[in-house]
Amino acid sequence: MSMESAQSKSVKHVPSYCYNCVSGPDLMNVKVVDGVATEIEPNFAAANVHPAKGRVCVKAYGLVQKTYNPNRISTPMKRTNPKKGRNEDPGFVPISWDEALDIVAEKLKAVRAKGLVDEAGLPRVAVSLGHGGTPSNYMGTFPAFLASWGEVDFSFGSGQGVKCVHSEHLYGEFWHRGFTVAADTPNCRYNIAVGANVDVTGGPCAVTRHADARVRGYKRVQVEPHLSATGACSAEWVPIRPKTDPAFLFALIHVLVRENGLAKLDIPFLRDRTASPYLVAPDGLYLRDPQSGKPLVWDENTAGAVVHDTPGAKPAVAGSYRVARAVVVDADKERREYSDVEGATAYEMLARHIEKYTPEWAETVCDVKAATIRRIANEYLEAASIGETIEIDGKTLPLRPVAVTLGKSVNNGWGAYECCWARTVLAALVGALENPGGLLGTTVRLNKSRDNRHLSVAPGEDGFMVQYFNPTTKEEWQVAPSTRNLHQTLVPIVGHNGAWSQALGPTQLAWMFQNERPDDWSMPMPTLPEVWLVYRSNPSISFWDTRHLAEIAAKFPFMACFAYTVDETNYMADVLLPEATDLESTQMIRMGGTKYMEQFWDHKGVVLRAKAVEPQGEARDFTWITTELAMRTGLLESYVKAINKGISGVSPLKGEGYDFRLDPATPPTTEQVWDAVCRAATRTMSEGREEHDLKWFEQNGFFTVPMSRLEWYLTPTMEQHGLRYELPYQERLLRAGRELGRRLHEKKMNWWDEQLSEYAALPEWHDVPGRWIRNLEKAGAKAEDFPFWLLTTKSMQYHAGGNAAIEVMHEVAQNLRGHAGVIMNAKTAAGLGIAEGDRIEVRSHIGATYGKAALVQGVRPDTLVIIGQFDHWATPFAKTLEAPSLNSIAPMSLDLTDATGSGADIVRVAVRRMEGRAAA
Amino acid sequence: MTRYVMTIDLRRCVGCQTCTAACKGANATPPGIQWRRVLDIESGEFPDVRRTFLPVACMHCGDPPCESVCPTRATTKRADGLVAIDYDLCIGCANCVMACPYDARSIVHEPRFAYGDTPTAAEAARFDPARIGVSMKCTFCKDRIDHAERTGLVPGVDPEVTPACVNSCISGAMGFGDIDDPNSGVNALLAETQYFRMHEELGTEPGVYYVWDKS
Repeated sequence: MSMESAQSKSVKHVPSYCYNCVSGPDLMNVKVVDGVATEIEPNFAAANVHPAKGRVCVKAYGLVQKTYNPNRISTPMKRTNPKKGRNEDPGFVPISWDEALDIVAEKLKAVRAKGLVDEAGLPRVAVSLGHGGTPSNYMGTFPAFLASWGEVDFSFGSGQGVKCVHSEHLYGEFWHRGFTVAADTPNCRYNIAVGANVDVTGGPCAVTRHADARVRGYKRVQVEPHLSATGACSAEWVPIRPKTDPAFLFALIHVLVRENGLAKLDIPFLRDRTASPYLVAPDGLYLRDPQSGKPLVWDENTAGAVVHDTPGAKPAVAGSYRVARAVVVDADKERREYSDVEGATAYEMLARHIEKYTPEWAETVCDVKAATIRRIANEYLEAASIGETIEIDGKTLPLRPVAVTLGKSVNNGWGAYECCWARTVLAALVGALENPGGLLGTTVRLNKSRDNRHLSVAPGEDGFMVQYFNPTTKEEWQVAPSTRNLHQTLVPIVGHNGAWSQALGPTQLAWMFQNERPDDWSMPMPTLPEVWLVYRSNPSISFWDTRHLAEIAAKFPFMACFAYTVDETNYMADVLLPEATDLESTQMIRMGGTKYMEQFWDHKGVVLRAKAVEPQGEARDFTWITTELAMRTGLLESYVKAINKGISGVSPLKGEGYDFRLDPATPPTTEQVWDAVCRAATRTMSEGREEHDLKWFEQNGFFTVPMSRLEWYLTPTMEQHGLRYELPYQERLLRAGRELGRRLHEKKMNWWDEQLSEYAALPEWHDVPGRWIRNLEKAGAKAEDFPFWLLTTKSMQYHAGGNAAIEVMHEVAQNLRGHAGVIMNAKTAAGLGIAEGDRIEVRSHIGATYGKAALVQGVRPDTLVIIGQFDHWATPFAKTLEAPSLNSIAPMSLDLTDATGSGADIVRVAVRRMEGRAAA
Repeated sequence: MTRYVMTIDLRRCVGCQTCTAACKGANATPPGIQWRRVLDIESGEFPDVRRTFLPVACMHCGDPPCESVCPTRATTKRADGLVAIDYDLCIGCANCVMACPYDARSIVHEPRFAYGDTPTAAEAARFDPARIGVSMKCTFCKDRIDHAERTGLVPGVDPEVTPACVNSCISGAMGFGDIDDPNSGVNALLAETQYFRMHEELGTEPGVYYVWDKS
């Protein structure tokens, strides 16, 4: 310090943001001494607007090293070895930017000359972007380039579906515009966290809020096989058997519905805001009015069946009733007429359905005592404080301070539909869905407007919100897939509203079907994209069966990667383009409002990532690279017009009272782009009152306006529209599944039949863990040879951001258990002769991975855990860690793919000690 | 009188190591040297297990064992409670390293850098040869405390004069201030909570208070 202060010529603190993971952005300052970034600091200027008071998490403190990492790609490079593969040295050699951009542009122009879509109907250009949409916060104007390009395939994911909270995204958005779902932690009193590792993955906002809640006295019950950091900070740990979470949640519903009964639940919410009163015919479809086709309810005032939106009616929530005349509408709009038919309310159907799922039954499945399940359910119900209210900005709302939150591998893969359904029903039963204290969606991605989920609420069918399913009718079903992950063909719920719909298709199918397809495949054969562009994405490490995946990646004919270091995916690249990283580049994004995880604020605004230091080597700002590509591919005009529309920025560059549009005929500089965006954004956010330019933001960093907390809660908006949440009964999904099945079967395809079983109006337990056992048996292995479950858990230090290559992140992570190896139960290990630090082999039926044993008590005896995904073989520094990874030994399999196209991070394994003892 | 202390609310800490990394950044410590870190401690037997996160560093003791064993008087307790090391006087004998019951001190004998023998630009800009071969530990960011003396800013209130770890803590677990000031934040917290000091039985009078429950 003394040396530094003695010799310093200039010190500045440059405001910026960290968006390493989806829980951002969080605000920070970069301390720059004599032009060198030396420290990351909180930005306390944001203390009053940012829920985490201007602080960033541990990952951001690696950004200085990230900037000056000597292993960075410092110049554009091209491959000299035409052979591709893990054992083929790419022979990268430095080239000029001109040459690199020309190579990429020529490939792109060749594609345009042939047509954007190939003979199989698939885009010739594919783009893979990494972790959860975070690249868009770093890639400048690249979205405008993609928009100007046209059809692009986002099918080749780096983790979508298998590493994200996939079913939560799809069903959460379907039920309550909750692409991401969180507890209303500032008001919550009781949180059942089923694998939700929010103190690791939720970012500073979640950590701050949950810490406040603990001090305030809320109770969090952590239900998970391994005692995570979040579990450590919870009041209670329930070590559930892996993948049996649906049974646990079903039993909670049982206790509420069967043991407590409707009288103790939130009857007005169920009656008015859900489909609980809708009458269901014996065939499982809604009874409908023959004339209008609207679902019927039983009006207690008139003792008769009326359409659901009849003014003045008081629908019965429970019971069954005889209806004189009604129709049902089945798949393909098939109508059946009924007379004198019994209709049970949807709630009644739920009550009957859930009767068998007692806590005693669940105990046999979950290995959790029935008394524990019953106690937790009753604590939840009591904490819901039905009847209590809270005043927010002058409006009185119900206060229902309870939430069930779900974690990855609970809310994706088989069983996830059941879990998402159960926890949303649990919220609805007590009126906690989208009400203060309860369960909130924070983000929409499959609906618009993406920055205000309330604007996505509009009347749709049957008294519910409008939905944009991929069509499954005979006329409209997409029989020839338009993307390699078949998202429109196979997954109705994912919709077709742009890149997010694509990216949330069954991405592993895109990888799997490049090699082999089911015997009864009758669609066009999937092709490889002619050009593959990759940014912040390393599927050869982060997906599954990674050795095999890397072999597929090696077959892609042309690949250009925006590259930080050499890594396991860009090892197959033809061209590497070094982009300016976090501290070296400029971009404005939105912040606040309500978005991922627990980023729901009392403010909304914009934040600038200002260039704090000059880029290292020849690295270039992404906006500069993009503009060059647009020029060289002849797309400048449409690219600039896309920028003007606001596609890469925050707001359109022309709006009421302002016009900062850029000239489409002139390539804009990076500064011109972001100066215009800064001005337009502040004009928009302030409704014309203020305008700030790039210079202002370089000094001040961010701009916010206040936001009412009423924007956190969707239920008042639903009430305004007179709409109901599509719960608890899933007639729409049932019909969509039936139609999809018919379409596939008409094409003689049965390979998706197992997935079709997920389309149930009321989900049943279906031995979820058994699917993994059957899968290995099908592959010819014996179940008894693989007696353990292997899971993953996330690490705040490593999670996202490519931090395995950052030395300081590795160093500080080692303070936490298990970061060097395989976490296993100490007693189990003793039985196998494994001691702390022993090098062990963890083997599945497709391969083995190796690491040091980390022995703990806080994990089930039948479960092993590997943190993260670190078995790098090309990434400098990371490849020296000799760390294990589940990804190397988890199979990609249709059997392990659920109906949404997602799979869970779990595999059956054997474990043994390698020869030789660990050094003492 | 002034006695600067730190409070750590164990109800809040999530073990994230943000303070560890922020300290490394603020103090430019070499790889493997952590002036502070968060321990990950497990107790009990499956399924009755507790896992606790415990931030540790120099306790800035009121009666520091490291001070009395220092043959050159390089380690001294300042009037404001900070235990400081004068690198010009330290001979690197490691008596203090052995004497500290908190494992808070370390000595680096050769320069170390994150990626091999060559420092990065940031490391080169901050490399301090005076720190080689001498005892090092958490200083409570004493340059900042000294800056407070000059400016009238208040440690624990004004970020410019508050230790980097406290500033960085995303769970709000860490507090800092003058325990002799009845109006300080640390006093307010300790007045309403139950707390302990680590190894208080050794008579070291540690200056770090671990809060574990409300009063």
